Amino acid sequence: MSGAQGTSARKWSGNQFRRRAVVIFCQAALLVVVLAAWEFSTAGKALNAFLFGSPSEIWDFLVKMWKDGSLVKDFGVTGLETILGFVLGNVIGTVIGLALWYSRFVSRVVQPFIVALGSIPIIALAPIMIIWFGTGLASKVAMSTLSVVVVALVIAYKGATGVDQDQINLMRTLGASKWQIFRKLVIPSSLGDIFAGLKLTVGFALIGAIIGEFMSSSEGLGHAIFKAGSLYIVPKVFAALVVTIALALFLSFLVGKLERFLMPWCKTD
Amino acid sequence: MSGISANAAGEALPPPLVVRGVGKSYGEDAGELNEVIGDISFSLASGEIVSLVGPSGCGKTTLLNLLSGLIPPTRGSVLWHGKPLHDVPKGVGYMLQKDLLLPWRTTLKNVTLGLELTALSQGEREKKAHAILNKVGLASFHGYYPSALSGGMRQRVALARTLVTEPEVILLDEPFASLDFQTKLILESDMVKLVRSEGRSVLMITHDVEEAVSLSDRVIVLTHRPSSIKAIHEIHLDADRGDMMAVRDSAQFTGYVREIWSQLDVRMGER
Repeated sequence: MSGAQGTSARKWSGNQFRRRAVVIFCQAALLVVVLAAWEFSTAGKALNAFLFGSPSEIWDFLVKMWKDGSLVKDFGVTGLETILGFVLGNVIGTVIGLALWYSRFVSRVVQPFIVALGSIPIIALAPIMIIWFGTGLASKVAMSTLSVVVVALVIAYKGATGVDQDQINLMRTLGASKWQIFRKLVIPSSLGDIFAGLKLTVGFALIGAIIGEFMSSSEGLGHAIFKAGSLYIVPKVFAALVVTIALALFLSFLVGKLERFLMPWCKTD
Repeated sequence: MSGISANAAGEALPPPLVVRGVGKSYGEDAGELNEVIGDISFSLASGEIVSLVGPSGCGKTTLLNLLSGLIPPTRGSVLWHGKPLHDVPKGVGYMLQKDLLLPWRTTLKNVTLGLELTALSQGEREKKAHAILNKVGLASFHGYYPSALSGGMRQRVALARTLVTEPEVILLDEPFASLDFQTKLILESDMVKLVRSEGRSVLMITHDVEEAVSLSDRVIVLTHRPSSIKAIHEIHLDADRGDMMAVRDSAQFTGYVREIWSQLDVRMGER
């Protein structure tokens, strides 16, 4: 009985492994086909290599950027701006969003203002951020924070107000004060939503940092993309884009790790 | 201990819960009056188990929230040890069909939730929680998260959480309705034994007539909305009241069930 179960379990996981391997193989094949088509069509003059670059040129630029240290430096600069903006925006937004649970009156008063702030395209705020914070790190962090804060606030507020009323009633019958309900029920209940928000806003934080770099900067991936684009060095634009994608994936990975660390009761598999 | 209804001086103490002419309406401001509870009066004696049964939508949950002080009545008053209720009183236990366990807490931590709001130290809290988990048969599951427990086990944890604060009055809203029949009978038996041995009063709201008859000393039948009391039955069964199968086999059981069922005025195809 147990032997048969063991074999069937092994067989099943074997199947699962094979299915996963097939998916990964197809993904790799798709990438190779697209890159090869790109490479050959630019080599055969079907595509203009000056306008579209080619994978081999992009690779050459990546190697060059790695060797002269600009890849690591730009990755670090934009990464730092993004992380600072991400943390600041989420802390400010989440604290305000959760605190609004405390008073229905205050949340009703401030609601239209939050909607108004949320509707401003972030790029429109860039000039004022440069005037206030200069052309260095601070203005990029400010842009990144602004891209995150309203979204984080709305998500935290939705999470806090979405707590089951029966659950609140139970806490009340156990004699909990409003503060105890907030601390023991509302905050942990909202964590799921807040983490979904973190996954979403990590991308927004990066957008904010890149926009900040586009407006005025002397370093960072946004700077590299903007400068290479202005000089029509298309493969270098793509090379910087590849690094940006790598940064985005790296930051998402960190957020995923953090979630598993802080919410061990959620099994995400 | 709390089964006695007189103090040291021999004076009669008021029953823990008295409901006097309570009614509840919604939407009075909007001008469209929705009367959920018409006029209900009864009392719950110390150590007594009383069930309220009524047809679907008779405002059972509203009534439970009124009795636990979560919402104020429109008319009448709820007396808690002789004093009118203005907020959630101390010494009330509350258990619903949903187990309401907190997913980020282990079994032990879910049980200690209510005790964390008291002055007890962590050691004392966990000692009490372990003792009650032992009584509900979950001693070895104290480290599990709710997601790893079955429905019946989760409801056992909810029962432990309710009993650990040693409430005088336990209010139950269809606590076993989502369980399969076997699990339900076992859990009912365990609950009745625990509650009766500790002399706690129980008020249970249910639509399950058999459950009401098998568990209760008294069954109160409610009418359709706006609900009021239609009949009160004292339940006397020649069986061990802690054994849910024996109770169902007793001579009087079916008679009570039939009579209450007919009074419920259940109309087919109607709500």
